[in-house]
Amino acid sequence: MRTKSIIKIFFLLIVPLIVTSCSRGEEPHYSMQEFHMGTIITEKVYGENAEKAAREAMDKIVGIEGLMSLDAEGSEIKKLNDNSGKSWVELSPETIYVLEKSKEFSDLSGGTFDITVGPLVKAWGISTDNQRIPGDDELKNLVSLTDYNDLLIDKSSNRAMLKREGQMVDLGGIAKGYAADCAIEIYKKHGIKSAIINLGGNVKVLGSKPDGTPWKIGIQNPRAPIGKIVGIVEVTDKTVVSSGDYQRYFIEDSVRYHHIIDPRTGRPADSGLMGVTVITDSSIDADALSTAAFVLGLEKGMELVESLDGVEAVFIDVDKKIYVTDGLKGKFIFEDESKEYEYVEER
Amino acid sequence: MLRKGDIVLVAVMILVVAAGYYIINLTRSSGDGAVAVIKLNNEVVKKIDLNSVAGTELVRLEGKYSNVIAVEKGRIRFQDADCPDRLCVNTGWISLRGETAVCLPNKAMIVIEGEDTATDGIAY
Repeated sequence: MRTKSIIKIFFLLIVPLIVTSCSRGEEPHYSMQEFHMGTIITEKVYGENAEKAAREAMDKIVGIEGLMSLDAEGSEIKKLNDNSGKSWVELSPETIYVLEKSKEFSDLSGGTFDITVGPLVKAWGISTDNQRIPGDDELKNLVSLTDYNDLLIDKSSNRAMLKREGQMVDLGGIAKGYAADCAIEIYKKHGIKSAIINLGGNVKVLGSKPDGTPWKIGIQNPRAPIGKIVGIVEVTDKTVVSSGDYQRYFIEDSVRYHHIIDPRTGRPADSGLMGVTVITDSSIDADALSTAAFVLGLEKGMELVESLDGVEAVFIDVDKKIYVTDGLKGKFIFEDESKEYEYVEER
Repeated sequence: MLRKGDIVLVAVMILVVAAGYYIINLTRSSGDGAVAVIKLNNEVVKKIDLNSVAGTELVRLEGKYSNVIAVEKGRIRFQDADCPDRLCVNTGWISLRGETAVCLPNKAMIVIEGEDTATDGIAY
């Protein structure tokens, strides 16, 4: 009897061992990694039609880039910008949808997210050959050109127009979110149950991982190489999108000039934050909201996010303190390899 | 009271289980057999087994801009670049599975093959 029960215990101990070693043979999947939309796009799609679905999603992203980039030949956004102050232009329903969403989030965020920052973004030229610090007068002039209310949209005829000459929309803060949403829809169309897409840090997941557990999404350490994290969120059917001062920037005289321009000042947002990560259902929303919250800063950004249903966020301030929305308390996994950050659970 | 035979049996079982978990952990940890993949304009340019490198090897990438990649035993980095932001160079050395260094302006990247087991993706 006793020997039997000892053997039973042995099997109990050995079962998890066998399970862990077997589960290492992964579910069949298809992965792709390509440069588009000015960033790297990584897909990992599980299941039978994985390759077909992944390729179709990547093609869709190339198509969105063609429609919405600032300078591609045939880009609708280029056409809209080239005709600013002159005439209405006919656009695809997709572009109209993204423009409308942009205005919705401009309204919601008190203009801290504003796609008409185009002329300012161009003047700074962050991460281009023309990056420079524009003068005060130039900035003042360009700030006066920045106003999302001047973007007129006639949905019934799929047309839009920028009121004043010299105005420009730049969808850099929202198009990747839209693309992530489109990719997930394509996966679903192909019957995929489990997939992850990452557009330069703009992550969206379909379902859970093939083994049924949630996806673990790392939150980037804003002062370390890509891949070094300060924490993890576990998500199913969600998007996780970060905006920060570390994605594109240059440093001059020890000042960091980054790519997120505050439409009110015309300068890189200086709100006391290094990064904001938004977790919600729709990636287009998360993309716009993370930018808005970053520009707004900890207090007002937190207020904005907490006012919305089903939206959570992680804020990292310049003192390396990490704050999360109420809904993430107890769920955010603080994991800071650098030992430089502090997780402040109660504000 | 346990008989002597039981004690031996239990000891052997514990050893077998412990050895099993140890071996699984060993094969999971990153580092050994790391292979770096260098891509330019969505094409694989080179694959390097980082353990077979002796001294410092340099790889030049010519795209819209140019990058110089340095490879040493177990690690790899963008050493020099004429791109506008040089964020690729600032990234420094990478050595662990799943780590990536990128030069967006030149559409160049270095990826250490394999999966980072701690996360499934990074929102950067």
